[in-house]
Amino acid sequence: MKKNLFSLLSALVLVSLMLAACGPAVTATEAPAAATEAPAAATEAPAATEAPAMPAFVGDKLEAPDCTYGGNMKSIEAVDEYTVKFTLCAPDPAFPSKIAFSSFAIQPKEHLEATGGSPLENPVGTGPYQVAEWKRGEELIFKAFDGYWGEKAKTPTLVFRWQSEAAGRLVELQSGTVDGIDNPGTDDFATIAADPNLQLINRPALNVMYIGFNNTTAPFDNEMVRQAVAMSIDRASIIKNFYPAGSEVADFFTPCAIPNGCVGDAWYGFDPAKGKELLAQAGYADGFKTTLSYRDVVRGYLPQPSVVAQDIQSQLKQNLNIDVEIVVMESGAFLDAADSGTIQGMHLLGWGADYPDQTNFLDYHFGAGSSKQFGNKYEDIVAALKQAASLAMDADRKPLYEQANALIKQHVPMIPVAHGGSAVAFKSTVQGGHASPLGNEYFAVMSNGGDTFVWMQNAEPISLYCADETDGESLRACEQVTESLLRYEVGGTAVEPALAESYTANADLTEWTFTLRQGVQFHDGSMLDANDVVASLVLQWDAANPLHKGNTGGFSYWSGLFGPFLNAPAQ
Amino acid sequence: MASDKTPSIASLDAEAITLQSVSLWQTTWHRLFRRKSSVVGLGIILALIFIALTAQWLAPYDPIDQPGKAENLRPRAAPCIHLLGCPADQPQHLMGLDANFRDEFSRLLYGTRLSLSIGFSTVIFAIIIGTVLGALSGYFGGWVDTVIMRVMDVLLAFPSLLLAIAIVTVLGPGLINALLAIGIVSIPSYARVVRASVLSVREMDFVSATRALGGSDFQILFGRILPNALTPLIVQGTLGIATAILDAAALSFLGLGAQPPTPEWGAMLGSERNQVFSAPHLVFYPGLAIMITVLAFNLLGDGLRDALDPRLAHGG
Amino acid sequence: MTTYILRRILASLPVLLGILFATFALGRMIPGDPCRAILGEKATDAVCDDFIHRHGLDKPIPVQFGIYTQEVLTGDFGTSFRFAKPVGDLLIERLPTTLELSLAALFISIVIGIPLGIISAVRHNSWVDVVTMVWANMGVSMPVFWLGLMLAYVFSLTLKDTPFWLPPSGRLTSGVISTSFADLWGWSVPASGVWRNLVDFISRLNILNGLLTLNFTLVADAVKHLILPAVALGTIPMAIIARMTRSSMLEVLGQDYIRTARAKGVKSWGVILKHAFRNALLPLMTVIGLSLGGLLGGAVLTETTFGLSGVGRILYDAITARDYAIVQAFTVVIAVFFVFLNLAVDVLYAYVDPRIRLD
Repeated sequence: MKKNLFSLLSALVLVSLMLAACGPAVTATEAPAAATEAPAAATEAPAATEAPAMPAFVGDKLEAPDCTYGGNMKSIEAVDEYTVKFTLCAPDPAFPSKIAFSSFAIQPKEHLEATGGSPLENPVGTGPYQVAEWKRGEELIFKAFDGYWGEKAKTPTLVFRWQSEAAGRLVELQSGTVDGIDNPGTDDFATIAADPNLQLINRPALNVMYIGFNNTTAPFDNEMVRQAVAMSIDRASIIKNFYPAGSEVADFFTPCAIPNGCVGDAWYGFDPAKGKELLAQAGYADGFKTTLSYRDVVRGYLPQPSVVAQDIQSQLKQNLNIDVEIVVMESGAFLDAADSGTIQGMHLLGWGADYPDQTNFLDYHFGAGSSKQFGNKYEDIVAALKQAASLAMDADRKPLYEQANALIKQHVPMIPVAHGGSAVAFKSTVQGGHASPLGNEYFAVMSNGGDTFVWMQNAEPISLYCADETDGESLRACEQVTESLLRYEVGGTAVEPALAESYTANADLTEWTFTLRQGVQFHDGSMLDANDVVASLVLQWDAANPLHKGNTGGFSYWSGLFGPFLNAPAQ
Repeated sequence: MASDKTPSIASLDAEAITLQSVSLWQTTWHRLFRRKSSVVGLGIILALIFIALTAQWLAPYDPIDQPGKAENLRPRAAPCIHLLGCPADQPQHLMGLDANFRDEFSRLLYGTRLSLSIGFSTVIFAIIIGTVLGALSGYFGGWVDTVIMRVMDVLLAFPSLLLAIAIVTVLGPGLINALLAIGIVSIPSYARVVRASVLSVREMDFVSATRALGGSDFQILFGRILPNALTPLIVQGTLGIATAILDAAALSFLGLGAQPPTPEWGAMLGSERNQVFSAPHLVFYPGLAIMITVLAFNLLGDGLRDALDPRLAHGG
Repeated sequence: MTTYILRRILASLPVLLGILFATFALGRMIPGDPCRAILGEKATDAVCDDFIHRHGLDKPIPVQFGIYTQEVLTGDFGTSFRFAKPVGDLLIERLPTTLELSLAALFISIVIGIPLGIISAVRHNSWVDVVTMVWANMGVSMPVFWLGLMLAYVFSLTLKDTPFWLPPSGRLTSGVISTSFADLWGWSVPASGVWRNLVDFISRLNILNGLLTLNFTLVADAVKHLILPAVALGTIPMAIIARMTRSSMLEVLGQDYIRTARAKGVKSWGVILKHAFRNALLPLMTVIGLSLGGLLGGAVLTETTFGLSGVGRILYDAITARDYAIVQAFTVVIAVFFVFLNLAVDVLYAYVDPRIRLD
């Protein structure tokens, strides 16, 4: 044992030494205060802002040879120290909404290089909070960043804790050990609302829960089978029985609050007789055996995963004589398996809006860059979405989204079930408490009058490098630390300037030029420039980039929003 | 805990057992019934077996049906017992409803059937394999003994629940696999018990006599030697049922055993553990059922051990 | 004595080898592609080829076993794909929680179990005896996870707003800061290395660190969080210890020399503690040693119930996530620990009771 322990320890020494060698390279440059209010129109930074010893700025640039690789990004270029230009293959009116998303947050180029493209635990951002300590498994501690360019955080220390059980979260809030909790349990809404010491804030249902099918294996390779199942699930009863107030039956994949979200024909009505008939036509009159996979993780769109799964199980048995075996998976493994298309049968999953645009819902799931979650892509849906995304005006896009919705209804890659209402709860003494429809509550504006603000969410972040995370619990943590060129207003969905002070687009919306805020300091003391922006984004875009590593290397948001990677290895 | 507590087998005259088996069983019964705790244990077990056999008549509902849905109740509705003041116009659910509108009381009754089968089947499986291994090991000795007992040592080196979890990892979650895992984990204790009794009688006169009369190894082993191992096996087996039920419940609690909607106590408890503050009845009753069942087998096992072991008869 | 110890150590070598082989087999019996099972679904072919080559998975089984043994002996447990961290680091990180919990549970079970056992043996067949034994029988039959939930229900919810309230989860209240004793004492520990790991390990034992730094707020808070899980986890060993103490005490109390001593008018409690209990201690040691193994198993359940992230919890997460590097490493470490624990108990036993050595 002693020898073993010693070997273990010596291995640890080596690892730690390696880590130590990769520490962040600190570039100490003093930003002249006068430069921070530089006019947005300036395309070239005034000479006065350059520190004397600094070498002349050489802008980085990556350009795809042409657009045949499949993605929508043509080039990303640092035009000068404070100007970044994106060139797209096709017009994208939602580009500002997309680039504001926290997966496209900017970190110092040097830091990304030093961490080999995966700053999983030690992100360096520009946000109001910086990571102080991550006690894995216990809590994540942030401390306010004194050099923040904007309005500084109201509470010096912010703590994230997690507890997967809604009951446990509520008890912590009631006993005062935490200041706010995410997703109180369905049955607890009334309790919280009635408690004078607590405040309940409803979060608009900008999400969807669906039953996905993998169309590569029998019997779900048969469209009629999928349609039959779609007709035979009583979605209204699921919402009535297992969802909190404020939830609605999903008649479209996208919630109506999103422009062009619910256009076209609504979903199939509940008609088990017709479903049975269809199933018989497909050759499964006596039903069949299949699986329903899910992760036992509470989200706004799915407040009671195991209960809903069992209800679906019992409905399918009753209505279509389908024997469903329930498979519970660990959260991360489930998402990986879903994305890589290895889940056979059906799966329960959901989606919360990241930015308020159809592309965030439909394109991410059914577009050219979508994952293999539903098996093989439905080419007609892909085509309709691609065309829609290239048009600038919502009115012009409408008929195409009507078409896409109709195609989704016909092919049934999934059954939209619910737009789940959820809530957050705070102590009544908390000032500035809010719920964000995008799930990115912003704690810098909250205060409990003390030095430490404790937030308890459902689960521990997977990593703090959100370029390669899709999980809301991770994203919320990242959003306190790192910032993108633009951001969404606190508690809302409108896009507003962040690291970029302003942006312009050419007439056909294929060239977007962002002017960076000057004098923005990273947590490691270095200053933001255009090359940091290019480095942060290019490593996601270019699969051949040595820093294209992340956590799993999936970079799902990039491919979901901007299409396939450059230099992607042949499948 | 009990595996090392079979010291007195050697002191029993094996021949006497075979000759006077009737009176031995009589004394055993007598001794067993003198202990209140073993009577209680036996009584509970008989009641549980009765419930298991008649669950479909005793249970007011099918364990998978969702009566509460039609009755317009909320999921996880609290118990409604007419005798205890629940209005008569409300449908009676003795232990309330679970999250899917199913009658908790009916599920609990059907769960008895499952838990008992789990207990008996894993123990029988482990006893069969353990007996064969222990007998071979004790009878032949030499390298057979060494190999078998080293393997048993390795199995014992892992905390049993962890080993069961690891085995389920390889086999995949599910009730059958969980049973297999628990069975495998408990083999060593039976193998050890059998080996010890085989060793203790291997060289005794009546065995040598059979051998001299030309009896085969098989005859000697199964006809003459193994009956002597029966007593400790019964004791070990009764206690083993308790452990098996507890471990199976633990695996199901972790989601590695019975899969929904099977009415397994551990799984019922595990799926509602988030609700302990809002619907405590769904956590309380299944846990209580597990405890009572395990307790009954423990009490009977302890009683049997003392009754079958004359030296301990006065201890307590 | 030395010969005995050596013989015992030699005897456990084949078991250690068996453990290595069992965990090796576990790793190889995983359904599916071993590379993607260990590195995750997203591993590319190039990464997999490299992985397979590096770990010798393309070599014959005996060679693979050799490589695996070498890796384990050198402390190279591989990297967890779920946490993107060396498994050794995770072990150091999570072990303190479980250690603290198990020791607290053991402490509770001994401090309560032994006196109860003694009292019920001395007052044989009195109501104290009956109550203790009924309670002990229930204790061994209690599902750990159920007891945990029931305790949380009573102490975190029903007793809310009373001084008896106890927190339902976690190790510390947020805001209670645990400063490492090394930082407080101004030790300059290198940023990495054996010493760093050791210091980190000790600092993560909240109660010990709190005592070392005289931070009693920290100690009180840590103890408060520890009570419920430790009671839940400690109940089964407590019941076993109480029963075992009672039966060995009864046996010893019935023997002639005790009767004589009592008859001679030696004060009753003196006899009990000085003569009887000392002899009853022997079998008790074995039970206590063995229940540590059970504690490790129970820790999986207790940590799940109380939202603690120790070894048990991470092992469970790793199993559901199919993070085999963790499962393999943790099983090996726990089993080896268990073997050495048994060895220690045997040696201690032989030390106390010379008869054993003559076997």
